[in-house]
Amino acid sequence: MGAVSGAEPRSERLSNRARRERWAVEFPYGWDADELVSRRELLRLAVWASGALFAATAALAGLSYARPRARGTRQLVARASDVPPGGERYSRYPTADDHAILLHLQDGRFVAFSGKCTHLSCAVYWNAERGQLLCPCHNGVFDAQTGDVLAGPPSRPLPRIALAVEGDAIYATEEVAS
Amino acid sequence: MSVPPGRPDEYQEETERQPPPGQASIAMLGLAIGILLMSLQLWLLTLAFDLYRSGVRGETLAVALISGLVFLGGLGMLRLLERRPRPRVGEPPRE
Repeated sequence: MGAVSGAEPRSERLSNRARRERWAVEFPYGWDADELVSRRELLRLAVWASGALFAATAALAGLSYARPRARGTRQLVARASDVPPGGERYSRYPTADDHAILLHLQDGRFVAFSGKCTHLSCAVYWNAERGQLLCPCHNGVFDAQTGDVLAGPPSRPLPRIALAVEGDAIYATEEVAS
Repeated sequence: MSVPPGRPDEYQEETERQPPPGQASIAMLGLAIGILLMSLQLWLLTLAFDLYRSGVRGETLAVALISGLVFLGGLGMLRLLERRPRPRVGEPPRE
């Protein structure tokens, strides 16, 4: 802000030119600049921002149709004889950085899920006593058969890993959304 | 509103651009609702990302459609509020 000199006493006898110059010192913004923050201009900016948000949302929608999330290649994860009913086997799938859990359910089926909690990516573990998958960080609880959220802050189920059982070998084929 | 002596002529033009008396608060209300709707769109974007991550297709599309409707509403409002020359007192309205 410009400093007001104050040396010149207020007087009604100032010329219009002198008043205008003093006004320019006290308020050094032109009317054009002032108009930049008008309601109409703010509304225009808001509408363009709204358009950008819509474009990003539509892009995500398009992306979910164009490239469904399925990751991973066929990979041997365990031998069926090594995992007794009610037991589990921890492994890495689809990459070496991704935790995965293979479960042998009491009904004889094998299921596998991503071992990363969908809340904040903590490692999920199998609790045999409760028969549930638990996340110790924030007490997230997942269903062992479907991977659905049973309790806690996670909002999405655990991604499921498709399996192929050939004889004694259990292969993970791809990670798909639950 | 009287024009202070010595102020530039733009001041008078600027004051004439103000909404008619009583409508300023309506304009501010509209603007506030618009900004709230933009916040809704931001939330919808996070929701769409979450749905995309969980591999849900149909609901992601529905979220995008809602966001698009909000955007269209904003465009409509912008068009509605398009600046039109206001007839001066004593002048016939322009076509």
